[in-house]
Amino acid sequence: MNDISPRERLLRVLDGKTVDRAPVICPGGMMNSATVDVIEGCGFTFPEVHPDAAAMTKLSAAVEEKTGFENFGIPYCMTVEAEVLGSEIDFGNATCEPKIAKERYASTADVVVRDIKELLQEGRIEAIARAGQNMAEKNPDVPVIGSLTGPVSTAASIVDPMTFLKELRKDKANAHRVLDYVTDFLIGYAEVLIESGFPVITIADPTATGEILGPKMFGDYAVPYLNRLVDAIHERDARVIVHICGKLDAVKKHIPALHGDAVSTDAMVNLQALKAECGVTVMGNVSTFALQLQTPDVVQRVTENIVSKGIDIIAPACGLSTTTPVENIAAMTGTVKNHY
Amino acid sequence: MTREEELHKVLSEAVVDMDEEQAAVMAQAVVDEGFDAYAAIEKGLSQGMEEVGRLYEEEEYFIPELLLCSDAMYAGIEILKPHIKRRQDSEHHTVVIGVVEGDTHDIGKNLVKIMLESAGFEVIDLGRDIPAREFLRQAEESKADIIALATLMTTAMPAMREVVEELEKEGRREAYKVIIGGGPISSAFAKKIGADVYAVNAAEAARLARELVS
Repeated sequence: MNDISPRERLLRVLDGKTVDRAPVICPGGMMNSATVDVIEGCGFTFPEVHPDAAAMTKLSAAVEEKTGFENFGIPYCMTVEAEVLGSEIDFGNATCEPKIAKERYASTADVVVRDIKELLQEGRIEAIARAGQNMAEKNPDVPVIGSLTGPVSTAASIVDPMTFLKELRKDKANAHRVLDYVTDFLIGYAEVLIESGFPVITIADPTATGEILGPKMFGDYAVPYLNRLVDAIHERDARVIVHICGKLDAVKKHIPALHGDAVSTDAMVNLQALKAECGVTVMGNVSTFALQLQTPDVVQRVTENIVSKGIDIIAPACGLSTTTPVENIAAMTGTVKNHY
Repeated sequence: MTREEELHKVLSEAVVDMDEEQAAVMAQAVVDEGFDAYAAIEKGLSQGMEEVGRLYEEEEYFIPELLLCSDAMYAGIEILKPHIKRRQDSEHHTVVIGVVEGDTHDIGKNLVKIMLESAGFEVIDLGRDIPAREFLRQAEESKADIIALATLMTTAMPAMREVVEELEKEGRREAYKVIIGGGPISSAFAKKIGADVYAVNAAEAARLARELVS
């Protein structure tokens, strides 16, 4: 297995097969790896990259080269879905990532279900698919990861999130109706990406955490829709990484029920224990705080500690700050590659 | 139990049970039967919200429940507020609260606001993604006692430090107590950036705020 490619290594890990060492990746989306340091010298800047397939292709090559991450990961934000579904997006600037400026609907009852095929023609979906296709063709050894916003978070980015959370209790019928709709849309979006050559999809669902929803609602709302999405991706022969934000204590019992091929978590979670307890492939969780504010030697120690615990895939624990020094990211990836 | 005490109890239970309609009906009963509106808020609705805070700390309730309880509390407050006899309250304190720059997650901040209000504070809510200078400007303008900072994101933590630095730079650090909280925050971090206290959740934020001004 000496000349195993990064793509094969990642796919083998996600399939539960043996590998020479853990891959070190950053899937994009919430975990955007195109930092200020990386984009410098590319000849363009944020926010103009977001809708531009050629710029995304070039930028992701720069990410791979400068950071040492063993993947391409797009998009660089969590607003693609909300934009297509009608919310107002603030595209941010060179250092600040896009965010939802205003949700499209005041309540779940207001949500108008649109034709999924039509939706898939809109916004940045085509540009992202094309960028991924270009990356896969130019460098078939490096896996292209497509990052989706999970069903609960997507729903909470088109309906006022405070109202949405209340309606999970108060208007269950409409809450499920909206989650059904966004899940159908996410499945369609994932299919477009997979057809364009993305072998791995990451789903991050930051609103669907144990801390926000609690165990009951996580089981009622997060798990079924995540699993429906994951199953649809599996049917297309792609792999899925599910990222769960925050502390896991309240929802740990649900983790084995998730159908994803790996679970990624934030820095406070003990991944070694999670792996042992739940029998899942785990990804993570190098502190993004250390990556942003510490020195390369500290990052190296933090990373070594995680690698030595047998974590399956090494990745940042959460979203990287856009001002994270590239030397720190390189220290992280270099540590993984040199450890074995 | 007197009739008034009974109403307080029912108001409190309506909040805990997330029953907005019941809270409004019972608040109206307080008004109609000529009982003190302020006492009904304090001993009824706020009492209920305190119980909610306890349930939240014990992980019986989570964010959706907390939001619905606070809706019930506000339904009652809205009816009672016009009937409060203006009190000459020497204990009047103001908190300026917001999510620091770079972060748009405001659920936690909104909860802290609700708990602070139910603990008797006047709360000036700046919203989310707020620059450091804005906290100081607003605190000066509203003669606040406390500045409360929230973030859910590790990436926005340096922006908390900036607020404290801004206060120091302007020679106003001693004028305010600074309370911080949010997912990635710890008391070690509070100490490191020179904030006064770290609150682990919304109920504790309100408790600590009371201590800070007493």
